[in-house]
Amino acid sequence: MRAALSRRRGLWGFPLAFVALAMLSLYRETIGFPVFYLTLLTTILFWTAQSTSWNILSGYSGYFSFGQAAFVGVGAYTTAVLYGRHQVDFYVTLGCSAVLCAVLALFVGGLAFRLRSLRGEIFALLTLAVPFILGALAQLNSAIDGGQGIIVTVPPFPSQLGLFQDYLYLISLAVAVGAVWAAYAIQHSRFGWALSAIRDAEDVAEGLGVATFRYKMLAIMVSGVIGGVSGSIFALQIGFVAVTSVFNLTVPLFVIVMSVLGGRAHWLGPVLGAGLVTLLQDRLTASGLADWRLVVLGGVLAVLVVIAPEGLYVRLRARPWPALAAFAVIVVGLRLANAFGGPLDWILYGALAAVVIAVLPGRLGRKTGTARAERTDRPEPTERKAAVPDRPSPDDDEPAPTGAEVLVECEDVARYFGGVRALDGVTLRIGSGELVGLVGPNGSGKTTMVSLLAGTLRPTRGTIRVAGRDIAGLPPHRVAHAGVARTYQIPRPFGSMTVRDNVAMAIMFGREPRSLPRARAAAERHIGFVGLGHLADARPDALNLHQRQLLEMARALGTNPKVLFLDEALAGLTPAEIDNAVEVVRRIQRGGTSIVIVEHLLRVVNQLATRIVVLDKGTLLADGEPRTVMRDPAVVQAYLGKRAHA
Amino acid sequence: MDTLQAGLSGVLVGGLYALMAAGLSITWGVLRIINLIHFGLILLGAYLTFQIASSWNVDPMLTLVITMPALFVLGALVQWTFDRLAISELSSLLLSFGLLIVIVQGISNLWSADFRQMSAEVNPYATRSVSLGGLDLVFPLPTLLAFGLAVVLIGGAHVALRRTFTGRALRAFAQDRAIAAAFGIDHRRIGVLLAGAAGATAAAAGMLFAMSTALTPATAFEWFGTVFAVVILGGIGHLLGTLVAGLLVGALGAVVTVLISAAAEPFVLFSTIVLVLLLRPQGLFAHGGTR
Amino acid sequence: MRSSKYRLLTLVAAGALVASAAAACEQKSGTDSGSQASDKPIVVGSTLSLSGAFAATGNIHKIAGQQFVDQLNKNGGLLGRQVKWLVRDDESDQAKVSTLYEQLITQDKVDLIIGPYATPNILSAMAVAARHGYTLPQHTAVIAPLMTYSCQFPAWSIGPKPNEYVPNQLFDAVASTPDPPKRVAILTNQNGSTDFVSYGAGENKTGMVSIAKQRGLNVVLEARYPPTTTNWASLATRVRDAKPDLVVNDGLGVDPVGLLQAMKQLNYRPPMMFSLFPAPGPLLGLGETAQGLLSVTIFEPNKPTLDKLGQNASSIVDEFKSRATQAKLPYTVFETQAAASWNAWEILTSGVKGAGKLEQKAICDSLHAKGADTTFSGHLTFDPKANNFWPTTLAIKQIQDRDWVTVWPAERAAAKLRASAG
Repeated sequence: MRAALSRRRGLWGFPLAFVALAMLSLYRETIGFPVFYLTLLTTILFWTAQSTSWNILSGYSGYFSFGQAAFVGVGAYTTAVLYGRHQVDFYVTLGCSAVLCAVLALFVGGLAFRLRSLRGEIFALLTLAVPFILGALAQLNSAIDGGQGIIVTVPPFPSQLGLFQDYLYLISLAVAVGAVWAAYAIQHSRFGWALSAIRDAEDVAEGLGVATFRYKMLAIMVSGVIGGVSGSIFALQIGFVAVTSVFNLTVPLFVIVMSVLGGRAHWLGPVLGAGLVTLLQDRLTASGLADWRLVVLGGVLAVLVVIAPEGLYVRLRARPWPALAAFAVIVVGLRLANAFGGPLDWILYGALAAVVIAVLPGRLGRKTGTARAERTDRPEPTERKAAVPDRPSPDDDEPAPTGAEVLVECEDVARYFGGVRALDGVTLRIGSGELVGLVGPNGSGKTTMVSLLAGTLRPTRGTIRVAGRDIAGLPPHRVAHAGVARTYQIPRPFGSMTVRDNVAMAIMFGREPRSLPRARAAAERHIGFVGLGHLADARPDALNLHQRQLLEMARALGTNPKVLFLDEALAGLTPAEIDNAVEVVRRIQRGGTSIVIVEHLLRVVNQLATRIVVLDKGTLLADGEPRTVMRDPAVVQAYLGKRAHA
Repeated sequence: MDTLQAGLSGVLVGGLYALMAAGLSITWGVLRIINLIHFGLILLGAYLTFQIASSWNVDPMLTLVITMPALFVLGALVQWTFDRLAISELSSLLLSFGLLIVIVQGISNLWSADFRQMSAEVNPYATRSVSLGGLDLVFPLPTLLAFGLAVVLIGGAHVALRRTFTGRALRAFAQDRAIAAAFGIDHRRIGVLLAGAAGATAAAAGMLFAMSTALTPATAFEWFGTVFAVVILGGIGHLLGTLVAGLLVGALGAVVTVLISAAAEPFVLFSTIVLVLLLRPQGLFAHGGTR
Repeated sequence: MRSSKYRLLTLVAAGALVASAAAACEQKSGTDSGSQASDKPIVVGSTLSLSGAFAATGNIHKIAGQQFVDQLNKNGGLLGRQVKWLVRDDESDQAKVSTLYEQLITQDKVDLIIGPYATPNILSAMAVAARHGYTLPQHTAVIAPLMTYSCQFPAWSIGPKPNEYVPNQLFDAVASTPDPPKRVAILTNQNGSTDFVSYGAGENKTGMVSIAKQRGLNVVLEARYPPTTTNWASLATRVRDAKPDLVVNDGLGVDPVGLLQAMKQLNYRPPMMFSLFPAPGPLLGLGETAQGLLSVTIFEPNKPTLDKLGQNASSIVDEFKSRATQAKLPYTVFETQAAASWNAWEILTSGVKGAGKLEQKAICDSLHAKGADTTFSGHLTFDPKANNFWPTTLAIKQIQDRDWVTVWPAERAAAKLRASAG
C-alpha cells in the first residue's frame, strides 16, 4: 500500500509542485507575490539544483566530490561562449552544456572509478583538482573567453511571462524540479539501492552482483548533466562570465554544506539545506550586520555539524509535527505582532525554531529516535515487471545431485604478488552438490584462492571456469551472476538497510533482476532458512557475530549461487553457535548448492565436509576424502604437525 | 642560468609550502581530522607577526617566541574540542570549514580587509638575500629562512616520531587505534600534543608568510590549492614526504614559469596531482599502505 | 491503477495549461515604481566587496561614499530631500552582486543605484541595471568595450580605448627623460582589466605589447601570470636576465610589491618600473625599494594639485583621512580609488539635479545632454558612441621620497618625472 502511495506521489507530486511554484510567478500580481521574492527563490533554486546534482553522486554513493565548480564552470562557459560570443540559440547551449558535462563526468569517473585502490579521500582530492585544471585551461587559452570574460545578455523570451526575473525564475524552477525529481526517481529505483549499497560496502555489493562501476558512472553522469544545465542558467543570472566567477571554491564548499546540513542520504535533504542556508545568508546580508554575517554563518554550520551530523531531514522526519508547530507558531506570532522585520525574517525565525525543536531532543534520544527514522522512510523502488508472476526459487523443489557435473574448474592457477607466490599452479575441480573443506595454515593461499574464484583478483596464470564459463577477467558482479557467492570472515552487512533488505539487495541484483517488493518477499524465505526470521526488520548493528554470519549466508543465498564460499564462517563462535551454523550449512547443501568451507581448523571441517583440499605455501598438498587426507603424511607433516595438539 | 636560479628560488619557496602543509598532513594522517582551521591558524600567525613586529618594533623572527606557544595552545584546544565531540573525518572537514570562515571574518574585523604589510624598517628580510661566492646564484633571505625552518621543524618532527616514546606511540596509534589503546597509549594526550605541534608550525609558516608578502584575510582560501597539492603528493601523514613534495611543488612552479609561462603553472601543477593520484594514490614517497 | 495514473496526469497537464493561459492574460507592469513621498529620504542602493578578494579596495569606496552622502545631507540633500545609502556586502562574489542588485531594485525599491567595485562585479550589476532601466554610475570598470549599456556612466575614464591610451601616455612620459628606455619587459596579470591593457579585447589586439613594438621599443620579455601568483622569484629572475630599461607590470594589488622584493633579493633593480593598478599603501611601505615606481592616477592629493582645486577638495581629503583612520585602514590617503568613488556620486547627483526628478530615463538623458560636474575631474561629458567614456584625465604618478606624486602630463604634474630609480 505504502509503495503504491509513494509511487503516486512521485508521479504527480513533482508536476504539481512545479505548477504551484510556477504560479507564484505567473499570477504574481493577482496573488500579490512581490517580485523580489522571486529573486531569492531563484537563488534557492540554483543551489537546490547544484546540491541535488552533488547529492546524487556524493550523497547517495558516498564518494565526496569537491569538484562541483567544474560542472557549473563548464555549463556557464558553454553558454557564455556559444550564446554570448557566437550567438548560438540559448536553449541549444543548454543541451551542449548537458552533453559536455556528461562527457567530462564520464571522463573523470572513468579515470577515478577504474582505480582498484580508489579511496574516498583520493576521489575527493581528485575532484578538487578538476576545476582548478579547467580554470587554468580557460586562462591559458585566452581564445576561449577573449581573455577578459564574456557578457551574457538576456535571451528573447515570451513577453507574457513578465519580467526577466519571472523568466529566470521559471527556467531555474524547471531545472531544479527536474533535478529533484531525478534524485527522487533514483532513490526509489534499483539505481538508488545500488548506490546505497556502494556507500555501505562497495566490494560486497559488487560481489553480490551489483555492477558498481556502471552505477557509479551513471551517477556521476546524471550529476554532471544537472550541474551543467544549471550552470548554463547561472551564466544568465550573473550576466558576465570569467574564470574567477565560476571556477572557484565557493560552489563546491556551499553545495557540500547545504547537502550535509540538509541530509545527504535523502533526496529532500539538499532542498532543505539549500533553502535554509540561502535564506539565512540573505537575511544576514539584509540585516546590515556585514561584519558579523560570516561569523554567524560559519558558527551555525559548525554547531549543526556537531549536533546533527546525519542532517536536518532525518531529525525533522523523526518529529515532524512539533517542528511544524514551532514553525507555524513563530511565523504566525511574529506576523500578528508584526515585529522583528518582514515576512522573510519571520520565515527564517520559524525555520530556525523548527530546526532547534527537531535537533535538540534528538540529541538526548539519538539512539532510539534517529536510527528508526532513517529506515522507515526508505521507500520502495517502483515495480518493473508487475506482470511476471513470482516464481519459486529453485532450491525448493530441485533434487540435489552430488558431484554429477563439474561446477568449478581451476587449471594450473597461479597468483603472484610482486615476488611473493601466493598461489602457484593449483589445479582443482568442484562438483555440484559437494561440500568441500578448503584448509591450510595461515598464509597458505586460501583467501587468495577465494578472491580468485570470486573474481576480485585475477590469476597471474591459469584458467578458472565456473559452470563451463571462463571467469578470469570478468568483473566480480559478473562472476556472481555466473553462480559464485561468498561470505566474509568479518561480516560486512549494508549498515543502512534492515536484515530483510540486505538479503533483498542480493536478490534484486541477482542473475535474474527482480523488483524490490518481490525481492523482499523472496528474502523472507532465505532469512527464515537461516533462522533469522524474527530479526527481519532489525538493523545489522543490532545483531551479534553469529547472527551476522547467518545474515552473510542468507545474503549469499539470495544470489541463488551454484557454489558458495564460506570464509571462516565458524571463527569466533561458541560451540552451540557452531552446531547451529553447521546445521544451516548442511541445509544449504541439501538445497543443491555446492559449498566450499574455508577454514584453518581441520577438526571442524573434518566432520562436515565430503572432501578436503589442503593448501600449503600456495600449492595443493592433498585432495580427497577426509579420512584419506587426514592420514596423508605430507598433510600431517606440513599442517597437523604444528597443530596436532591444538 | 635563469632556470637554475628560478629552480633554486622555487625549492626554497617550497619550504614554506611544506611548512604550511605539514601540520595539515600529519593531523589528517594520524588523527583522521581534516582540519581546515589550520589555514586560519597560519593566517592568524601571519597577522600576529605583523602586529607584534610593527607595534613593538621587534624583529619578525623574535615574534615566534610569542606566536608559537600561542598557536600551540590554540591548535591543542581545537583538537581537544574535536576529540570531545567525537567528530568523524567528514564532519571534521565541515566543522573546521565553518570555524575557518569565522576566523577569517574575525581577522578581517580586527585588522580590516586592506593589505597589511610590515614596513621595510621592521622587516629587513623581505629584500635581502645571500649570494653564493663563485656562482652567480642568489638565495633570497625569507625563502632561505622558510627552507631552513621547514627542514629543521619537519625533519626534527620526523626524528622525534622515530626516536621518542611519544613518537612511536603516535605511529602505533596511526596504524591501529585499537591495538595502541590496548598498550595503554593515551590517544587524547597524544592527539592534543600533535595538534599543538601542528599549530606551532602554523605559527612559523605564518611568520614567514608575513615576512614575504602583504596580507589580506581572503588569502587563507587561496592557499587551499597549493597546500592540498603538497599534502597529496607527499602522502597524507608522511612528514618527510610532505617536505620533499613542498620543495618539488615549489621547484616545479618556478621551472614551469621560466621554461613555459607563469600562466601554465596552475595547469601543470594540478595535472601533476591528478597523475599522481591516479598512478600513486598513496603519495610519491610512501611505501605501501602504512602512514 | 493504470487509468487513474493517466487521469491524474491529464488533470495536472490541464491545470498547467489553464494556469499558463490565465497568466498570458494577466497584465504585468514593468518595474514596481518606488514611493515618491517627499518627506522620505531618497534611497541609493549598491553593493561593495566588503569581504573576500576585493575587500581591500571595496572598503575605500565605502568610506568615500559615506563621506559624500553625509556631506550632501549636511548641505541640504538632493532635490530638497535627505539621502540614505543602502550598501550591501557582495563578498566579492559575482552571483551575489546580481542577486543583491535585483533585491535592491525590486525589494528595497531604492530610488537610485550606484556601481559596485571591480570590473566583473560592475558587469554583473550593469546587466541588472539594464534589465530594469536604471541609471548606473560606476567607479572603476576599465574594459570600455564591454560597457555597452547606454545608461552606465564611468567615474574613472581612461577614454574609450584604455588599451591605447595608457601605453602611449606611459611611453610618452618615459620618452621625456634624458635617457629614454629602449628595452621593455611586459608582465601581465591575467585578470580581465589588466590583460585588456596589455593585449586589447576581442578583435582589437592593440595594447601595451603591440604599441611598445610599434614605437620601436625592444620588447625583451613578455609574460602573463595568473591572478593567484604569490611566488615572484622566477618571474624576477627572468626579468633580471632580460636586462630591460623599463619593466611594465600590468598588474593589480600587491603584484608590484612581490616583484620588487623578489628582484631586490636578486640584487637587481630595473632602471624604471611601471605598475598599472597597484594597491598604493604597501608600495610606500617598501621604502627605498619602491622609489621611482610609476603608475596611473586620476587624482593625488599633492599640494600643487590641491591648491589648484581649492579649499573644498582639501577638506574632502582631510575628512577622508580621519574617517579612514577611524576605520583602521592602513592607508588613509584620498587618491585615485576614492576620487573615482567621489566622481561616481557626483555623476549621480548631477544627473538627478539635471533631470529635476527621480526618473531613471530622465537622469540618463540629462547626463547625456548636460554632462556632470565633478570636484576632482572637472566637467564631464558623456558620448554614448564611446560607451560614455569621457575624455580622460588620466595621469602618471611616481613614488618620490615615500609619496605618490603626479608627474605627467606636465600641465597636471605636481613635480617632475625623475629619470631613474636611484
